[in-house]
Amino acid sequence: MAPYDDWNKADEDEEDELQDASTFEGQRDVVLFCIDASESMHAVRDDPNGDGAKTSHLYTALETAMQVQKRKVVVGPNDSVGILLFNTSRKNESEVRGSTEYKNGTYVFQSMSQVNAPKIQELMRLLHEFREDTDFFNKEFPPMEEGKVPMGDVFTSCNWALRDGAPKTGIKRIFLITNEDNPHPGPKAARLVTSAKTTLIDLTQTGVTIEPFFISTPEKPFDPTKFWSSVLPPSFAEDDDEVDESLLPASISISRIEDLLAQMRFREQPKRAQFSVPFELAQGLVIGVKGYGLITEQKKGSYKYFTDLGDRMEVVEPKTLYVDEDEQNEVDKSKILYGMTLGATSTSNDAEDDSAGFGSRVVPTRNKVFFTAEEVQSFRTLGLEPGIKLLGFKDLSELAFEDNTRHSTFIYPDETTFSGSRRTFTALMKTLIKKGKIGIVRVLMRRNSSPLFCALLPQAEKTEESGWTEPGGFHLIPLPFADDLRAAPIEEACRASNDVREAAKAWISKLQIKNGSYPPDGNPNPALAFHYAQLEASAFREEYDPESFDDLTEPKYDMIHKRAGAILKEWKAAVLDDQSASTVIVHAGSKRKADVSIDEGEIRSKHKGGQLSKLKVDELKEFLKAKSQPVSGKKADLIDRVSDWLVAHP
Amino acid sequence: MPAERAGYTVTMFLVDVSPSMGKTRVVDLPDGPKGEKRTREMTNLEWALQFVLLKIQEMIYNGRKTDQCGVILFGTEDTENCINEEGGGYDHVTDFIPIAQPNSGTLAKLQALKPSTVVGDPIDAIIVGIETQDRYLGNKKTWTRKLVMVTDGENPIEVEDWELTTKKMNALDVRTTIVGVDFDDEEFGFQEEDKSHIKRENEQFLSTFVSSLTNGILGTCAFALQECVRPEPKLTKSALMAYVLRLGDVATRPEEAVEVLVKTSKCTAVARPPSMKKFAKRVKVGEAEVDDMDIDFDDSNEVDGEDKKDIYAMLKMRTEYYLDRVDGEGGDGENENDNPEGEGEQQDGEGGEKKTTEAVERVDKEQLIKGFKYGSSYAPCPDGQFPKLTTEKGIDICGFFPDKNLRRDWAMSEVQYIWADPSSGQQQVAFSSIVQAMLERNVVAFARWVTRDGMDPKMGVLVPRSFEKVDCLLWVQMPFADDVRRYTFQSLENLVSKKGEKIEKHAYLPTEEQMSAMDAFVDSMDLMHAGDKDEEGNRMPWFDPRFSFNPAVHRIKQALFHAAVVTDLKTNPLPLPHPEIVKYLEPPRRVLKRAHDATENCKSAFKVQQVPKRVARARKDGHVHAQDDEDEELLLDQFAKRPTTQSVRAPSPTLVESHIKGNGKGKERVDGDVMDVDSTTEPESDGEGAVTQGKKAKKGANALPTPTHSQRSSPDPAESGGASAGSTGREPGRIIGRAHPLEDFEKNIRQGDIVSKAVEDLAWVVKDIVMRPFASRRHEEMVRCMKKLRETCLHEDEIDAWNFFLRDLKASCLAESGISNHEFWEAIQAKGNEMSLISAGEASSLGGQSKISESEAAKFLQT
Repeated sequence: MAPYDDWNKADEDEEDELQDASTFEGQRDVVLFCIDASESMHAVRDDPNGDGAKTSHLYTALETAMQVQKRKVVVGPNDSVGILLFNTSRKNESEVRGSTEYKNGTYVFQSMSQVNAPKIQELMRLLHEFREDTDFFNKEFPPMEEGKVPMGDVFTSCNWALRDGAPKTGIKRIFLITNEDNPHPGPKAARLVTSAKTTLIDLTQTGVTIEPFFISTPEKPFDPTKFWSSVLPPSFAEDDDEVDESLLPASISISRIEDLLAQMRFREQPKRAQFSVPFELAQGLVIGVKGYGLITEQKKGSYKYFTDLGDRMEVVEPKTLYVDEDEQNEVDKSKILYGMTLGATSTSNDAEDDSAGFGSRVVPTRNKVFFTAEEVQSFRTLGLEPGIKLLGFKDLSELAFEDNTRHSTFIYPDETTFSGSRRTFTALMKTLIKKGKIGIVRVLMRRNSSPLFCALLPQAEKTEESGWTEPGGFHLIPLPFADDLRAAPIEEACRASNDVREAAKAWISKLQIKNGSYPPDGNPNPALAFHYAQLEASAFREEYDPESFDDLTEPKYDMIHKRAGAILKEWKAAVLDDQSASTVIVHAGSKRKADVSIDEGEIRSKHKGGQLSKLKVDELKEFLKAKSQPVSGKKADLIDRVSDWLVAHP
Repeated sequence: MPAERAGYTVTMFLVDVSPSMGKTRVVDLPDGPKGEKRTREMTNLEWALQFVLLKIQEMIYNGRKTDQCGVILFGTEDTENCINEEGGGYDHVTDFIPIAQPNSGTLAKLQALKPSTVVGDPIDAIIVGIETQDRYLGNKKTWTRKLVMVTDGENPIEVEDWELTTKKMNALDVRTTIVGVDFDDEEFGFQEEDKSHIKRENEQFLSTFVSSLTNGILGTCAFALQECVRPEPKLTKSALMAYVLRLGDVATRPEEAVEVLVKTSKCTAVARPPSMKKFAKRVKVGEAEVDDMDIDFDDSNEVDGEDKKDIYAMLKMRTEYYLDRVDGEGGDGENENDNPEGEGEQQDGEGGEKKTTEAVERVDKEQLIKGFKYGSSYAPCPDGQFPKLTTEKGIDICGFFPDKNLRRDWAMSEVQYIWADPSSGQQQVAFSSIVQAMLERNVVAFARWVTRDGMDPKMGVLVPRSFEKVDCLLWVQMPFADDVRRYTFQSLENLVSKKGEKIEKHAYLPTEEQMSAMDAFVDSMDLMHAGDKDEEGNRMPWFDPRFSFNPAVHRIKQALFHAAVVTDLKTNPLPLPHPEIVKYLEPPRRVLKRAHDATENCKSAFKVQQVPKRVARARKDGHVHAQDDEDEELLLDQFAKRPTTQSVRAPSPTLVESHIKGNGKGKERVDGDVMDVDSTTEPESDGEGAVTQGKKAKKGANALPTPTHSQRSSPDPAESGGASAGSTGREPGRIIGRAHPLEDFEKNIRQGDIVSKAVEDLAWVVKDIVMRPFASRRHEEMVRCMKKLRETCLHEDEIDAWNFFLRDLKASCLAESGISNHEFWEAIQAKGNEMSLISAGEASSLGGQSKISESEAAKFLQT
């Protein structure tokens, strides 16, 4: 149950966002990169993207690790990261590592610790060295001369590395990067498989999951069935499901080395459910589902207050108190009651009441005029328990585009609360897709939230070209309440003639992405990226050059003009020719001011003659308003603005 | 309907305080906390006044200076009104509260009203009312005039010349509402029995009176009270904001680029519940603090006189900053006190607070520097914000794509209308041509929107819409790359076996029979013709967002208003919510009835079963309960036949010691309990358990049934009701616990010298678990345990122990009477020889000995 004061968050939507943000802050993600440094990983080859530059699998893996750290450091500053290399003859000096000696052939390059600037800079330096001298890694992390480290030993080292450095709480994951599909050929294979398997189980028992990234190249194809499928626990990503041994691990991803970063992006954030609730299809027919925020606005995160302790800067925690201002004493949260002010204290109150001060209320003793926190919560929830309740089904076409107020939530069955959830859920999903229907459901996501009505939009599983698989499930799309709907304020306007419309169609078709859709991947949030870039520079104590920033969301002007420039010109001419353009629709203006005429021609001629100051402030404002310009400031500002506009729009 | 101008209204309330209003009635109250029926006796005056109070409260709530009211009483002993002062007459009518913006005093005065001893005439009051109102409004011609009268109609009315009055009222356009106590209302379905003759006449008259008004209604009080809380969307007129819709490079290639002047306005905007203020009772110095807010009202306690008053002060929020020096590792600061009795959050909150204040020090805000965290590094940023991106206000079209590819689930914001500039025909033509062309080509646009110069841009789609006489675009925000979370989920439909083959039949996959049951269920729960009938008698779809009121918003508003108008919530609790608020909370009854058979079919086809809840995991505070054996013993009692073949050894202190302290290699191995605590960090936090400021909010014992699975791949302990959170479920003397036997076992094996004991105990635990209820959930885990056990036995020369165990297990699993577990044995059989008795051949390959022959081992498993 959330603390009592949570209910009164200024707005409910923000409550959602806040809770999401707090998972970033509180839930620590712990990632150990476990990178194969065998000879084949070292093999230098041409960088496909670079001009003559060289690269290697190991380089790409380390670069990916650096990129992930860079992301983590801003998105989850409390996360911890470490890097472990295996199949290298380099060793940790034992005194550095304290009591632990890692297994032969494994080397902890960066021990587990909270992400920080020096760590990232160290990696960047390392990568830079390689660019200068491709033999650098061979010297730095020489591959083992003979054979391979038993995977069991690798997992044991991982276990120690995590144990030594990782915070106790957190989601611990190992990102395993290797191109070796059969590390233990030969006679001892069976035993080594067993030992790898048992050490891995040991590892997973302590709450660690493994996310393998297997690299496959035409020269060295990767066959997971040779070794890995028998070692890796089934469906480790599905930590929550009852695991069926017979199923192939779903999260084995095999990629080309170039896709490593992209693949890692998919798994960068550990999967977190926002809620786990029963889904009641009918009385007595209840399944378990978990909700995930697949679309959530990523925000910059607000600044924190730091205090200077001399040797370091430390974050201070803000704490909110509730005080009775007149008495200057803090009030215990459990004593807080809820109600509303009754406006200004009435004048007729007697002397005693006046002494109580503004906003206070005086009532006969033992009378109850305020609500307790529990009561307030029951008003919020209407006494409902968290859960999803099916109300019925409607045609897909009933879900209007304009019926939207906030982001959707994805739900997926949860077999651990109700067995049989998955088959029921899947059957419902398939049936709705087949019939072209949506569900209408009532949703109470959390104990402290209010009921919402949502459309239950089925999502078929779909594999995209990028290799990403859109998961099957349902999207919960919150529907607006009657209270949220606003009427259209404009009911009538001029319309285009056929000619103009045809002219517009011409350029629209030129600017159309064939069979495309809105591409989120091509549009990283520029404001966030700009913020992060500056944050990074500040942490590295570097100057930041804002000119170097590239906003990818800006329209591709060159492409637009190249494809449609000429036709756009034609369309503009057609608009000017249109007859109806001159008709003026009379508006029932609510302004009681005298009508201000804003004839553009007249203003232009005044502008030419330097006579703008003859115009009235109202007229200037009206003109500016019509041009969607600001109307603030003194008359001189307005004149400047008008002439600026006229110069800019000859 | 043109939107009515809010405010600029004077409402006259005319309240009948004649003696007849003192008649008492019994009013039903909502059921008490234990479902008992509750009623309350009150006078008709009190009852009818609620209507007036609610109306006035709404004005107070809206807080408009131009929303004013005055109150006139009729039936008062004295006479005090403007007409009487000048020309006499109009007796027993009193101008009680002069016209002004109402406040809490207005409510208090009305609440204190008592019936008088003389009767008053409603028509007199109306005339005084409109006259007072007219004089007040003198030169404010545009104000709206309203008049509300409450009366029981039991007293004589002077009906002469009433037409003159209505004529005057129509001339002034007074909107009149007459609320009658127990007036008959056919539509509402109320008819008063034993109605007095005079009341019947008066009702008749008032009805005629109202019908001759251009703007008047008459209603019975019960209905009026209900309608007071009828949810009504607050009509908000969206402001039009000016923008430029751009296409192409306006700055350098203007002749080819497009600029259309547009206005935007909100299409959806989330309405929030009214905010509640926080109050606390002031405790006078020296006065013992008594818990007065007990809902149960104990009269015997009341020794104080009636004059005694309580003062409730409104609270202000204040933020203070604390430095936690102790909190080195962050997560370890979670030293909130444990609360085994589960006495609720209050205690927790207090306890936690005290702790924090002790461990931390307060810092002055002036000494603080703003900055961001960059991992464990710190990035100073004195302004609290880095310079922002330079952006230009406007909407830039980036491209078009087919509307069928629009992802509905990506829409992430409120919706905005975009209109052509209403003042320019040319802009309208240009805009409309774009909208219509988009419609004809079935495309939507995606665009970048900047709300103000320098503001962060947003990406979104523009969807064309054509109304009867105007075209517009709708904008909704779409996610940036950063906003899309790509979580991977196991495929629901495509299950692949380890061999890479598609699995066709599985408990996760619905069968044909299940699919057809679902098909029928979906059809039977269809809402497309389940709503009200339209004019032609056809049923319309059930559920329409236009009539779905936000239950929370309206319920909170109702509660606030109610608390403001009543003097004591104990005797006058909050009435039930208006039916309109709750109408969509449950499926329509007709549909449920229709779906009954299909639902039953589904239930038996899918056989969904609740998995028994497990006890909440250990708290993060490291406080582990002393082994909570209560439930465990209960379970054991049921299965008294627990194997006793193995003598329980005396607890071995050394073993336990090494277990708990994990000495030797520093913190190499933490005690099993703590390990468990660690892994409680769920990778998937339910939002509620979200974490604030690094301190884990704890789930109440009865919180959501959130499965507390960790990433551990093994299923969690099945002893659902059993061992309390964090316990390893170890029996005294055993070094292997029930909770994580494999883990315990491996730990012990690694330590080396206690193999025999570990083998013996794991064998005991496996059998113990297998013979318990709900064991099936752990079968797989047990098989793993046995594999490990067998492997260890084989290598560590404990072959006889294995063979003894397996025989014992088989006997128990296949027991004819009592507890058995055939299913588990079948699972073992399925594993084949690798799970069977260890034969001589197998043993000798590793230098061990066994008396069992190959064929014996093979045969053993087959039966």
